[in-house]
Amino acid sequence: MSQPARHTPIRSTVKGVREAIPLLGGYIPVSLSFGLVATQAGFSTWEAAAISALVYAGASQFLFVGMVAAGSPLWLVVAMTLLINVRHVVYGPNLASWLPPSRHWPWLMHGLTDQVFALALTRLPQLSAPERFSWFMGASLLAWGVWIVGTVVGATAGETLTARWPLLGEVMPFALPALFLTMVAPRFTDKRWALAMGCTILSALLFTLYGWSNVAIPLAAACGALCFYIVKFQAGGRTL
Amino acid sequence: MSTELWIAVIACAIGTLLMRVVPFLWMQRRLNSDTGINNMPQWLGILGPLMIAAVLGVSIMPVNPSAIAWIATAIGLSVTLAVWSRLRSLGWPVAAGVAVFGLVQIAAHI
Repeated sequence: MSQPARHTPIRSTVKGVREAIPLLGGYIPVSLSFGLVATQAGFSTWEAAAISALVYAGASQFLFVGMVAAGSPLWLVVAMTLLINVRHVVYGPNLASWLPPSRHWPWLMHGLTDQVFALALTRLPQLSAPERFSWFMGASLLAWGVWIVGTVVGATAGETLTARWPLLGEVMPFALPALFLTMVAPRFTDKRWALAMGCTILSALLFTLYGWSNVAIPLAAACGALCFYIVKFQAGGRTL
Repeated sequence: MSTELWIAVIACAIGTLLMRVVPFLWMQRRLNSDTGINNMPQWLGILGPLMIAAVLGVSIMPVNPSAIAWIATAIGLSVTLAVWSRLRSLGWPVAAGVAVFGLVQIAAHI
């Protein structure tokens, strides 16, 4: 039985930190890679760290650094970076009903990445209302901090690390699909959701395989939503 | 970095932050209005879980795609699912999946 009196902000923050640890399997190798790529593109360690701290959006950071290194016009670099991040606009509204009003959201929402969103949307409904703010703070700040530290380490020692433990960079990222699988699995008890989810996963994988990873998430989710609504239309309109 | 490049970084940072925070605050204000929680559009509630499924689809792609990597991915995901179906938690299924995925990769490299 849950006892609201036992929820302290520190305990909830620690819970958020603990539950965000599986995300680091994906964050560490990618942030190391970003630090390495940024320095190879001519950015200093602290410039790479500043990009990670301020922009904090994996795919778009790689695009930013790559386009700058290629000499693209800066207005185009900014436009493309923001275009890739447009998917974030649907994350906040999905969490809005689960999080209490607070004056801290304008800076705390900086931590709302793909992975933090997925974890939060799964865990927040299972937590009691007093726990949610601190939980989100713990989970998002851990992910953000590790992302910045990983960038600095990647920029300073990335080549040495990848040369010494080449398999580490391949094994650790598997924590992400494993984690997301445990998040979507409960939906597979409903046929309509199972079909929409299966369609989304498959199309996201196909988009990624064909090099469309930057737009795979919104496009695949749109495919899944289409599937969700079409199945409803066919079931209501006629019996298949 | 030049001043122009710093401005570009700041523009990207502010733009990304606004995309994260403005829709969140807008929806919170809408939910806390007199008309109540039913104001959340249905399509948004559907899109949320599908976004997680899409992130899963993107992350399934191995870092270095090869036959071994795909086999390890399939085995790792199966083990994750099997452990999850028994425990219904987040931590242990992930740990078991990563361990088995790693073992398959290491065994293939020996």
